[in-house]
Amino acid sequence: MSLFIQNGTWKNQGGPQERSSGRPCSNYQARSLLDMAMVLLIGLLHRLLLACLVSSSLAFSAEYTFDVNILPHSPVVEIGKNFTATCSLANTSEATADDLIWYYTSKIIPREHYNKINTSAVNVTITITSETPSRLFCRVNKSKDTKDTYGIELHKGYPPERPENLSCVALQVDKRISNNVTCSWDTRKRATLIETKTSLFFSSGDEEKEKEIKDADKHRGTVSLSIFPHHMNAKVWVVSENKLGKVKSDVLETEADRFAKTNPPFNVVAISEKQFPESLLINWSQPIEKVYVKLIYQIRYCKHGSQTWSEIPLEDTAREIQSFRLQYLRPYTLYITQVRCKMYREGFGYWSDWSRNATKMTPEDKPKSKPDLWRTINNTEGRNRKTMHILCKDPELSNGRIRIFKVKMQSLPWKEVVVNRTGSEDLAVDLGQIQDPRGIIFVEVIACNSVGQSPKASLKIPRNQHQFPPVNKLVWKSDKGQLLIEWQTPNVSAGGSPPKHNLTEYVVQWVSGKDGKMDWQRENRSTLKTFIRGDLENFIYYNISVYPIYSDWIGQPVTIPAYLEQGAPSHPPSIKLEYLGSNNAKLVWTDIPQEKQTGFIVNYTLYYFTLNESDVQVITLPANTYSYHLKTLSSNTKYLTKVKSSTIKGSATSPEHMFITAKYAPGEVKGIVVGACLGFLFLLLGITILCFYKWQSIESKWWPTIPNPENSRIGTWTPDFHLKNDPPKESTLVDVSVVEVDTLDGKSVFEEDKAGLPLKKDKYLSEEHSSGIGDSSCMSSPRQSVSDSSHSSDEGGDLGETAAGAVQYSSVVASQGYKGQNPNAAAAAHGQPPQQQQQQTTPSFSRSESTQPLLECEDGGGDTPGSSGQSRLLSPGSGYRSKALDHGSARCAEGGPPGPGEQGSAVLLRFWPGDQACQQSGAQDAAESPEFLEAMPASHCMTKLVGYRPQ
Amino acid sequence: MIGHMYFPLLLQPTKSFPSALLSLLLVMAVHSSRTVSLSRSQNCGIPLQQSLKLTRLILKESVELIRTYASQGAMSELFCKSSSSEVPQPKISGLEPSERLLSVSSILQSFLPHLQRVLEQQTDLQSPSSRLLTELSNVRNRSTSLASVISCLYQNLFPNLPAPEPAGGPTQMPPPQNIFQQKVYGCVVLRRFKDFLLNVARELRTLKSRVCRMPPANTLF
Repeated sequence: MSLFIQNGTWKNQGGPQERSSGRPCSNYQARSLLDMAMVLLIGLLHRLLLACLVSSSLAFSAEYTFDVNILPHSPVVEIGKNFTATCSLANTSEATADDLIWYYTSKIIPREHYNKINTSAVNVTITITSETPSRLFCRVNKSKDTKDTYGIELHKGYPPERPENLSCVALQVDKRISNNVTCSWDTRKRATLIETKTSLFFSSGDEEKEKEIKDADKHRGTVSLSIFPHHMNAKVWVVSENKLGKVKSDVLETEADRFAKTNPPFNVVAISEKQFPESLLINWSQPIEKVYVKLIYQIRYCKHGSQTWSEIPLEDTAREIQSFRLQYLRPYTLYITQVRCKMYREGFGYWSDWSRNATKMTPEDKPKSKPDLWRTINNTEGRNRKTMHILCKDPELSNGRIRIFKVKMQSLPWKEVVVNRTGSEDLAVDLGQIQDPRGIIFVEVIACNSVGQSPKASLKIPRNQHQFPPVNKLVWKSDKGQLLIEWQTPNVSAGGSPPKHNLTEYVVQWVSGKDGKMDWQRENRSTLKTFIRGDLENFIYYNISVYPIYSDWIGQPVTIPAYLEQGAPSHPPSIKLEYLGSNNAKLVWTDIPQEKQTGFIVNYTLYYFTLNESDVQVITLPANTYSYHLKTLSSNTKYLTKVKSSTIKGSATSPEHMFITAKYAPGEVKGIVVGACLGFLFLLLGITILCFYKWQSIESKWWPTIPNPENSRIGTWTPDFHLKNDPPKESTLVDVSVVEVDTLDGKSVFEEDKAGLPLKKDKYLSEEHSSGIGDSSCMSSPRQSVSDSSHSSDEGGDLGETAAGAVQYSSVVASQGYKGQNPNAAAAAHGQPPQQQQQQTTPSFSRSESTQPLLECEDGGGDTPGSSGQSRLLSPGSGYRSKALDHGSARCAEGGPPGPGEQGSAVLLRFWPGDQACQQSGAQDAAESPEFLEAMPASHCMTKLVGYRPQ
Repeated sequence: MIGHMYFPLLLQPTKSFPSALLSLLLVMAVHSSRTVSLSRSQNCGIPLQQSLKLTRLILKESVELIRTYASQGAMSELFCKSSSSEVPQPKISGLEPSERLLSVSSILQSFLPHLQRVLEQQTDLQSPSSRLLTELSNVRNRSTSLASVISCLYQNLFPNLPAPEPAGGPTQMPPPQNIFQQKVYGCVVLRRFKDFLLNVARELRTLKSRVCRMPPANTLF
């Protein structure tokens, strides 16, 4: 199948192989017959034959070619309108109009759009839109092939729009109006989308010209005439047409000179005449001779540097003139003048461009107004004195160059101040100064130029400005690049009595914060708002003051700061830490001085955060805040902080400042230290007081009075023991007593004794409280004492002290024994019965009044060198181990048979001289034993018991 | 039709035929005079002014043309004043304004072939960029325009008169000439044409004062 296009239509032709659609069936039949012959399935054969018949009939219809045609061919259709096309069949009876279908490239048009004309033709009506496909097809529905399809191309578009607002212009070339007339018109800017022809027609007299505009969207064309038809009527119109329509604009019929646009007047000059200081004469030449175009003129002028033109009323210049006198100008002022022209008839023609500038200065005249007199007060640096400067500007109507100011201050005579300006200096001239002005000051000034002198200006500065009330509610705002100042009239009743002078004018003064430069301007009394006429700079701080003037008296001013244009701060504030605590910190920041700021600070924003915290704490503070106390900080934490100063136009942020909070607050450390010191002092004081009051007891406890053993004597001991009768002999060991104590059974010994006598019990209790004989510490912690003793055993002094510490101070005198040391125990130990022992042990104790310790044995021991050595060994180290003691006692027991109670008992108290050999041997054994030191507690205790002789 | 209905009514009260007829004539006269004056006041101004301006413009250009022609051809003024029967005379004839305006139109129409002839001759003599040719062409074209404007003016001012027609028979043109004769011929044509334009301008000013300033006859009404 192939698709060919001819004259915007398409025709499909099927290939020959597509037309022979019956052959595959014959092949299939042959194969089926072969197969069926093999399987002999007659029923299936019949079925296949039937299928072949059906397919053969279909092949017949598909083989037929229909002649389909669509009218119109390649139509141009208008978007938004209905379009009807007719599809027809020719030379066929196999299909009818009902078999025809219409469709776009990919969409079948519903049958409700069809209109059957006859048996072989059907119409379709569609509404053309911009989305309608550009190709429309028709074919026979019976044909499954597309070879019988017929298509047309739809050229969519719009009819041309009527040109409107037709106008033409012919420019002047050389000294004639050009014969090329350019016309332009408007349409609704809708593209026609199809080929459109636009023609411009120009007709004048016998000549008619047509100009075809190739670019239909240009809306502009130029017609070249043989000659410009001056003083002739002309007709101009535009015709636009395409296949969808033709439109003609309104015919512009007018005098052809209406289209003429001449050159501007030339040779424009301004002439000043000395006798007319307020006038300038303007001359010019017409650009074209009036036989071609009769012209009228228009003049405008302005001061040099001004942007506002003043136009002379048209009724004064709309004539055939070539000169004009400008009047009511300001003398000694540079003026710029321009002239233009057009065809004289009103409403006709075009104004030419403005001519070149004609610049001229008006002649000089004498000043017509007073000079602008003002003062400024400066503080002399380093001194507390003020200096008033008298400043003066040229009169507003100076009418010439001011050469001299005549000044009169106070009662001084007139003096002349020569003005030497080069043009770039300030307008204000310093006429003089008054040091330390006090009281009322009068100043008068006259300005003089080359022609004459001005009226006199005066300035009166009162002693007290409060009697001249200030203006009210002075505000400012920036408006279109200018600073607008508004105020209200002074409240004359506010000061009590009304002022003696009337309000005559205002002086608006501004001082730059950048360099202190001051300037002022005057406003009349009815003015309540004005623009600052000085050259203010953006981002610069200005102090604006408004002074009411009461008949030359300067009133009380009101001053406000202002900016012509505010900007973001140029410099960020600098932040630092003023105080740092453990959980609080005080930050201070300083901003740049206001005169260096670029705008008013509206607020400060303080940020602080830790390194680990993602959220930043933000605190917005007023503009007058320059410090902040952070109170919820964590101790010993690193913080970063910064502060942002903001104006209405932006902000500037300081660099981050880091600080670490203290671990302890400064007071906290001091408190701890002071508390500790105080506590220590109180403790020391208490101890001191305690020591002071308890000195005797402490002294007696820690530094006991060691009695002189020489003074020791026993008044009464036992009846059967007469020491006095038998004084100890020197160099004998008679008085050495050895206490054999089994450390394991020491307690049992005492308990046995306790059970024996109430007196004994009391005695023991008193010993536990260190008030009895012996040291209770040895009883409670014997090993500790051994260790201590062992350590101190190397020191002979300590040894003596230990021995001294063990000295008994008790003055108890037992009548029948002490601590169960019954004198009859020896007898019991030698086999006597208990009853006999009890009967025999009825000793009488008498309490000794002596405070000397009962160290008879020591006294005796100390006298003999040999005993002395043994005594020192035994006393502290008298703690024989039980084995050694047992061994010793066993050997000592050879002197007599031990009693049954002594076996295994720890207590064995024997005091008799015959045991000397035994003691020595035992002591030597014990001393040689390596475990000797471990037995020291017992020996220590025993040391305390030394001195008690067996009774 | 309404007039017909009221006409008998007018006669009835008077019952006098002569008086009724007089009244009818008066009404017709008033109506007629009103129509003429209105026509004149509306139509005389712009075409007449245009004609006058255009005449002045052509006159100015013809003066420049003669100056250029003399400078180009080194032609003496004496030759330009020579008589030539083929060239129309600049004098305007007639007594009535219509006759004089008709004469203007007629003479102007007579000059056009001569101007065209001179242009053709000078085209052969001058270079294509010659200023003389440009000015000559401009004068010729504007004269054609002036002829149509004068004709229009005549029809406006005198609508009841037959429109001006070209002169009877073809304009007499000179026989073939040598270059000198062509130069003399051209100079004569231009000079006479300039004189004619002077006369036309004068005539149009007179006409303007006569026609456009004529007070309406029925101002009292």
